[in-house]
Amino acid sequence: MAVLTAGAQTREIVFSEFDLPNGLHVILHEDHGTPIVAVSVMYHVGSKDEANDRRGFAHFFEHLLFEGSDNIARGEFSKYVEKAGGVLNANTNGDRTYYYEVLPSNQLELGLWLESERMLHARVDQVGVDTQREVVKEERRQRYENQPYGGLLPEVLKRAYTEHPYQWPTIGYMEDLNAASEADYKKFYKTFYVPNNAVLVVAGDITKAKAEELVKKYFGDIPKGGAIPRTKVVEPEMTKETRDVVHDKIQLPAVVQAYRIPAYGTKDFYAVDMLNRLLSNGNSSRLNKRVKDEEQKAVYVGSFSLPFEHPGLAIAFAIANAGVEPDSLEKAMDDVVAEVRDKEVPAAELEKLKVGIETEFVNANARVAGIAENLASAYTFLGSTKKVNSEIDNYLSVTAADMQRVAKQYFDPKKRVVLHYLPMASKQ
Amino acid sequence: MLSRFPQACSLASALLIPTLMLAQIDRTKAPAPGPPPNVRVADSKLGVLPNGMKVITVENHKLPVVSVQVRFDHPPILQGTIAGYQDLVGELLTAGTARRSKEQLDEEVDRLGAQLNGASDGLFASCLKKNFKDLMRLVFEVTTAPAFNAAEFEKARTRYASGLKMRPEDPDQIAEAVSRALTYSKKHPYGEVATEATVAKITRANLVAYYERFFQPKQGYIVFVGDITEKEAMDAAKEWFGAWNGATVESTTDANGVESVKNLGPVAQADIQPTANGPRQVSFVDRPGSAQSVIRVVFPVDLKPKDPDALTAQVLNTMLGGGVFNARLMQNLREKNAFTYGAYSSIEPDRWCGSFSAGCSVRNAVTDSAVTEVMTEIERMRDEPVTEEELTLAKNFMAGSFARSLEDPRTIARFALNTQLYGLSPVHYATYLQRLDTVSAKSVQAVAKRLLKPDNATILVVGDKAEVANKLVPLSANKTVTYYDANGDLYRESFEMPPAGMTAQTVLDNYVKAIGGADKLAKVKTLTKMYEAEMGGMTVELSEQYAAPRKYAMSMASGPMVMQKIVYDGTRGKKTGMDGEDDLVDLELEDAKQSAVPFPEIAYPELDYGAFLNGVVELNGRKCNRLMVKKAAGGAFTEYYDAESGLKVRRTEMQAGEQGNMQVTTDFKDYKEVGGILFPHTIEQNVGVQMHFTAKTIEVNKTIDASVFAITD
Repeated sequence: MAVLTAGAQTREIVFSEFDLPNGLHVILHEDHGTPIVAVSVMYHVGSKDEANDRRGFAHFFEHLLFEGSDNIARGEFSKYVEKAGGVLNANTNGDRTYYYEVLPSNQLELGLWLESERMLHARVDQVGVDTQREVVKEERRQRYENQPYGGLLPEVLKRAYTEHPYQWPTIGYMEDLNAASEADYKKFYKTFYVPNNAVLVVAGDITKAKAEELVKKYFGDIPKGGAIPRTKVVEPEMTKETRDVVHDKIQLPAVVQAYRIPAYGTKDFYAVDMLNRLLSNGNSSRLNKRVKDEEQKAVYVGSFSLPFEHPGLAIAFAIANAGVEPDSLEKAMDDVVAEVRDKEVPAAELEKLKVGIETEFVNANARVAGIAENLASAYTFLGSTKKVNSEIDNYLSVTAADMQRVAKQYFDPKKRVVLHYLPMASKQ
Repeated sequence: MLSRFPQACSLASALLIPTLMLAQIDRTKAPAPGPPPNVRVADSKLGVLPNGMKVITVENHKLPVVSVQVRFDHPPILQGTIAGYQDLVGELLTAGTARRSKEQLDEEVDRLGAQLNGASDGLFASCLKKNFKDLMRLVFEVTTAPAFNAAEFEKARTRYASGLKMRPEDPDQIAEAVSRALTYSKKHPYGEVATEATVAKITRANLVAYYERFFQPKQGYIVFVGDITEKEAMDAAKEWFGAWNGATVESTTDANGVESVKNLGPVAQADIQPTANGPRQVSFVDRPGSAQSVIRVVFPVDLKPKDPDALTAQVLNTMLGGGVFNARLMQNLREKNAFTYGAYSSIEPDRWCGSFSAGCSVRNAVTDSAVTEVMTEIERMRDEPVTEEELTLAKNFMAGSFARSLEDPRTIARFALNTQLYGLSPVHYATYLQRLDTVSAKSVQAVAKRLLKPDNATILVVGDKAEVANKLVPLSANKTVTYYDANGDLYRESFEMPPAGMTAQTVLDNYVKAIGGADKLAKVKTLTKMYEAEMGGMTVELSEQYAAPRKYAMSMASGPMVMQKIVYDGTRGKKTGMDGEDDLVDLELEDAKQSAVPFPEIAYPELDYGAFLNGVVELNGRKCNRLMVKKAAGGAFTEYYDAESGLKVRRTEMQAGEQGNMQVTTDFKDYKEVGGILFPHTIEQNVGVQMHFTAKTIEVNKTIDASVFAITD
């Protein structure tokens, strides 16, 4: 690390952490720059923890758990936060659900009360289910069905995974939400939304001792849950190229290529992620420079990693410039990737990627809300909160040889999903 | 009070928790806040360079990052026939300089791990402190010597045009462009919409002329934020920009004071006063197959950033739909009605023309209800005082947002820049919280009355016309829906002149030939057509029977229940409905007489229908001859005949209803032969709701019992 990060300007995040007897992990970060505090809980539950006939449950809870609790009337949860001058929200992915409030720092106790109520006895009932199910239907229409290219990720996932729950989108399917009973919802809540499956982060204008005392006061009496069931499904390796055409309400065709990559946190994940940055981070990146600028085949091109807890995907996506055939665009993308497999990345280019990484890590810690989430993610997925400060080394230690090796190993044209997204009008 | 879960608690306490803690906790009430923290607005420093450029510095050493913004201030300029060129200025700024190609510049930016983005009024750049000196060199080059390289210009223009092709499929992009056009009008710079046609006319010289005229130091600001001292910032500004004087501009000014720039033409600021729209109108952009309707309610507002009401307007907007979950639009349209994933509003003050917008995306079936609820909430803000609870929530939320925004040092820079640009009081932001505190329910209602103009609003809906448009008719003041295209221009069907020699009669003759020929039609003595449709869970049967000469019977029934029946025996007519039966007289009788012709297309002259061929238009991707048909008895309809097959594919007719004029659209599909004649076996009719009729029985020349056409007194 000493050699590679010499001159790195990242600021160390100082934090303390402890476990409550009920299994809740707690992380505190003190920063008096602004009189605000972020209170957040990351539950280690996402769409991959859903049964295949209850797809969309984790995301649905993201809605349901704002409905109130034994002590918070329906609709009052957000009112408490907003009346206190705070903001609140939540988000879900395949692996975890994240709930947070950012409040004026004198409202810390309110934030802890709200999150502890959510964990102890949230209101999970049919009335809430019925309202939120309609809202989620609209969310689905707005974000997937009524957006050009909105169905793209679900189309990729269902071909890239045949066994693993990553095959369905986080938002799930309405038929499963319709079929579920109140008891199903209650059971999911009791199983996953328990202290031993969560990490609480309090970051901002706090004093550690006082915050610790309040955390114990509100979370100490929450009963520990049972052992958390984890999916044992191992997705088999891709063994061939799956190629398909999807028609959508779009004007410009798009090409998507998806490769299986190692899980987030593994050594090779970072090498793959560096590779994706080489391909599409910044105007001088290879796909941007070649496919968009020089060959003018795309109006947009990008390649990014899905950082999943279980093996994820690298997805390259390009929207064709007017008049460019998808085959020609795909060939241009393939040529760029082939070059990475065939030739080692020059030192100067690798150096450029590392400066980019360093800048990104510095900016990721600009706000306490961001710091809170980074701390929670490091604890949940990297095995140790300390990795929030050392994860950058995983990137900086990637060598040109590593990148070439992972390019050959994972970006294999014989093991991937390729979709051509075509305008509906071209369908005969 | 103890927890309401004594069992859980005592179990927990026995196992894990020191009893001391249980005594302290009362879960039933929200904990009280501590003493309010002190919110301090950090300082900024202002300096001036000899060339007139102003320098703003905000020092903040939390992160080793520095950003620099260069901003040129000028009133909005109309772009006219070359709309979109200003967007290209931003892209071309960072596409190479006098000393570096685009490739070299991109390489250098990425080597520094920096960000460098151009805009039509300047640029923004940031990087780590250690690379700042190198970045300043690029900022200077890009600002003062952009190359506007011809090849890069062509590439950027092509990409821009490609991007515009995506607009018709993206409902949010359509809503964005069209709502601007409808808020400000296309005569205002904010209402102009770039299209493929305008982008095709842009030349490199336009961009250069604009850049030279408007990137002038005396109109310029440099804003430094982050890990930099005031001295370092001033030194950097002087070192790089101190001797920069801008380009010499070739321009003339006419008698009206309108400046004309070489290679750009007049740079008139147009009429920059907001003009109230006319009476409430419904505007619609058709995007067939939409899963949702995108709704925007818009109008201009006369509200400048320094207006004393500007802050009250934001409090008002917060309560209506400005980002809090407890805003009225969100609570009504999402939490109460579950129409949408989110409903929002905004009031944007502006030096030249402010604007109001409220909207959401909703499923097709509730589009009209959702618009009604949005309008109701806007009206309520004017008509009733808000509750103290809402007001407190909104004010507290805004105070909290203000404090949160201060976490980002760029907020302080924005405050400083706004103070300069908008001519705000030097204590405008320092007194923000005190001023917020004085906003009352009374002042909110007064500002609502002043600014909100629901009766002059434009209701824009982007969605599936066939599914939703007719239901919106009652919501407009003049009971019509006006159609626009995705670029915010009035919608016109694609149009071609008909081929030489083609007339309405040729189209009708081709149709007759296509369905079987005049001879066959002439031999039809009786005809029975029976169609079925699903309507609200029940099956509706529609039957029409004809017998020569001119006898007609129509009935619409669901099972044994006859909803409507019309009989015409060649001279007299009778109608039977839910409210009994009645003789047909006057126009109704005339109507029945006309209906008694099984194939009216061979009888338009006889029926006194005047048809003329109004061009060749495109319908569902196929060329169609469009016939306008006027009835002598009054009224008119339009028919579309497939240019290739000759078959009739659509008929549209305006129908006056209690709610206003509705367009009835009937599509004819799935033609199949019966007795040597082609009949459509699927008929889709849209009268606000879509009805799908399927042919059950079609019989030609099969005896019909005379009693069917008998009229008894």
